[in-house]
Amino acid sequence: MGCEIKPRVRVGVINPMYDCQPAGAQYAGIGIKDCIPLVHGGQGCCMFVRLLFAQHFKENFDIASSSLHEDAAVFGGRKRVEQAVQVMVQRYPNIRVIPIITTCSTEVIGDDIEGTITDINKWLTKGFPERKIHLIPVHTPSFQGSQVTGYNEFMTSTFKTIATKKTEPTGKLNVFPGWVNPGDVMLLKTYCQQMGVDATVFMDTENFDSPVLPDKSVESHGQTTVEDIENSSGAIGSIALARYEGAAAAEYLSQEHNVPCVVTPTPIGIKNTDELLKNIAELTGKPIPESLVRERGIALDALMDLAHMFFADKKVAIYGHPDLVIGLAEFCLELEMKPVLLLFGDDNSKPKKDKRIKALKERTDVDIEVVTNADLWELEKRVRDKTPEVDLILGHSKGRYIAIDANIPMVRVGFPTFDRAGLYRKPTIGYRGAMELGETIANALFTHMEYTKNKEWLLNVW
Amino acid sequence: MPMVLLRCDKDIPEREKHIYLKAPDDDPKDFLPLANSPTIPGTLSERGCAFCGAKLVIGGVLKDTIQMIHGPIGCAYDTWHTKRYPSDNGNLQIKYVWSTDMKEPDIVFGGEKKLEKAMHEAFDEMPHLKRMILYTTCPTALIGDDVKAVTKRVMEARPDVDIFTVECPGFAGVSQSKGHHVLNIGWVNEKVGTIEPEITSEYTMNFIGDYNIQGDTFLLQQYWDALGIQVIAHFTGNANYDDLRGMHRAKLNVVNCARSAGYIANELKRKYGTPRLDIDSWGFNYTAEGIRKISTFFGIEEKGEALIASEYAKWKPKLDWYKARLKGAKMAIWTGGPRLWHWTKAVEDDLGVEVVAMSSKFGHEEDFEKVIARGREGTYYVNDPNELEFFEIINAIKPDVIFTGPRVGELVKKLHIPYVNGHGYHNGPYMGFEGFVNLARDMHNAVHNPLFNLARTDVRATPVVELKEAV
Repeated sequence: MGCEIKPRVRVGVINPMYDCQPAGAQYAGIGIKDCIPLVHGGQGCCMFVRLLFAQHFKENFDIASSSLHEDAAVFGGRKRVEQAVQVMVQRYPNIRVIPIITTCSTEVIGDDIEGTITDINKWLTKGFPERKIHLIPVHTPSFQGSQVTGYNEFMTSTFKTIATKKTEPTGKLNVFPGWVNPGDVMLLKTYCQQMGVDATVFMDTENFDSPVLPDKSVESHGQTTVEDIENSSGAIGSIALARYEGAAAAEYLSQEHNVPCVVTPTPIGIKNTDELLKNIAELTGKPIPESLVRERGIALDALMDLAHMFFADKKVAIYGHPDLVIGLAEFCLELEMKPVLLLFGDDNSKPKKDKRIKALKERTDVDIEVVTNADLWELEKRVRDKTPEVDLILGHSKGRYIAIDANIPMVRVGFPTFDRAGLYRKPTIGYRGAMELGETIANALFTHMEYTKNKEWLLNVW
Repeated sequence: MPMVLLRCDKDIPEREKHIYLKAPDDDPKDFLPLANSPTIPGTLSERGCAFCGAKLVIGGVLKDTIQMIHGPIGCAYDTWHTKRYPSDNGNLQIKYVWSTDMKEPDIVFGGEKKLEKAMHEAFDEMPHLKRMILYTTCPTALIGDDVKAVTKRVMEARPDVDIFTVECPGFAGVSQSKGHHVLNIGWVNEKVGTIEPEITSEYTMNFIGDYNIQGDTFLLQQYWDALGIQVIAHFTGNANYDDLRGMHRAKLNVVNCARSAGYIANELKRKYGTPRLDIDSWGFNYTAEGIRKISTFFGIEEKGEALIASEYAKWKPKLDWYKARLKGAKMAIWTGGPRLWHWTKAVEDDLGVEVVAMSSKFGHEEDFEKVIARGREGTYYVNDPNELEFFEIINAIKPDVIFTGPRVGELVKKLHIPYVNGHGYHNGPYMGFEGFVNLARDMHNAVHNPLFNLARTDVRATPVVELKEAV
């Protein structure tokens, strides 16, 4: 059946789906250990993004601002960056990485970040000879792309800056999961462990879900070290789970250091997870273990009870990051649901040429409509006018009122999901992610059946 | 040595001018923390920007107004779903945000055309909306888009709409405070006096500097209704755009938040001669004092006393229940500015709570004058604080509860200190008599949250109780 791809026609945005580039860069940046990203721009560019992360993860993350004021906006912000780096190096004795993330204002002013870094490096070497501080230039003007491209830009800049030398073979596998939750990172680590694969996850955000401890230590920060990034060039291979979020860094390692690179379909659902495991097996030569065959079976066992009984023919609208949306749409087809409306939220033209979208069309007998550069008003109008009619919404919390006002069940997935407790801990990828997401969808539909008294008696004997 | 240089600030010694530890017999004017001054870059300051001061704090509260943000997408995204100000007409102000979604070609060739189109489009998409506030941001200010000219054209093309422009790029000023100022002054100069409000009472006032956080405005409105006072404009809690155009007709301007909205009261006094009356609308003593002042102004003292008496009868026993359980608790207030001086004495007098540290993101020196006059000795008063200072001060004063934002709240949780949302509240409203009981309840439930005691316990240190088998 058909798969129509078209962009938003309005020039303005009502209710944006994504934040801007610097926000995405900041998200990737907090994944590095002993690192405080420095946002070169107005203070709001960093303050609100910190709040956004706190809303989603219920954690605080350290991000600094160059606090661009009027004088710097007129005469250039170079001094602000220099002063910020100095203050950070002095006051944070363990700091090793300071990414300098530009914004719209400092890109318009045209601050020479590379030149500033060269100068700073000179006095850092002189003033702090015992310390090695890595300054990373990250160009993320807010008037290009979105948080998605910002994340990707950060990843590329970081590997280009730190992974400059080919290291000795490490026998390790680089894993680029994209913009995922701690629950996903934990799952990936477990899978690799079960396969006997020594993996490094970039970025390792497992501790974005961090404990309250008796000694009051604060562990809410990324765990990817400078050495992890340096040694990525000696890995046996790289596997990227998100085409538009970090795959570029894996491709850099491939081109520059001959590290074999596979971009696997975003592992949402059973089949995509199969692909992930097969690709890891191929890259590392390690077989897929019995334990994962069993986990796959448990997930299938759970989902089989739901698909043709409850999910079949349910029409779904999905919005969020392109890799996530495509993965979710593929998962919907596995569950016999119909992903009738897919929305991507920026003007990046690559996703619409994505082979996976073409394949979606071939796999299904439903009409799929894809809106690129969409805002959430686009979704709201369609839901309201039933063009198309949808039974379920999959997306992040910024669209919550669409579901609330139209009284349509919605399952929170993606970023941010601040209006539900603990979602960052649950995986979306892998067999377990498929099972948990499928069950969450089922429970959302069940609750809706009860609240609307729509055949809720079905559940008496299910 | 009342000004303090913290250990963490040894490399930025200028911070000494910003931190005051009140000593006995100090004249606060001798030791006023430096405020509203440039931020030291890289300190992990808590400050926001002028744009958010204008949009998120004041303009964005209006319940019938399109919030058009002329800039890249982030400025709109980031100032949406971050505030708790409901309205009585379906929460348009919480649900929607508008952006011109500036992209590179717009930056290179100018964004005026796109802006004009986006403005028309916004009115077309939601035809029932006829009011708009248009905000500039860093890049659209830098490229010099003439937004006033665009606004003029759109208003000419659409006679039934009214649009207000605020030029508030994020780099203007040193904090969100600049945005408050620009919006206040712009509004009084351009919009006040352009509509004649319907007068329904001989007692009329504007209530300025209350943003209906969790229903503060709704709660206070009960008092004004009881007193028969017509509030022409709430600036800006639960307000309509046009309410604020009629502010010139009020006989009195009552100001709660003097920092974000004192400017408009001053201008209304200068232009229209309307007297300005500052009150504190949090706390029992203060609310009663405020009602007395307002009632005295209108010559309705008896009504005022009757209202206070009935509210005391209703809420004071509940407050006292909490007071008995909160007495001596040590509290820190890490918020924007004015709540420091609104709250420090209120919690001390009404609840027996000791405020041991206070910090302000965007307060000015006059805010510090007020808070130091009202605050305790041995208390820290900090301007534009940063994270390392927070840690050091917490170690020094060991607060039982911190009133601050959710992000810092997550941080102090790891240090086994509960927080109460000092910006958006936990379960408010917090203003007025009933509101202060809510605040006391939330503080009580935070201070006595059993999980925090468990967090302080190391399971390994717990003596193992051996179970003896029954003989």
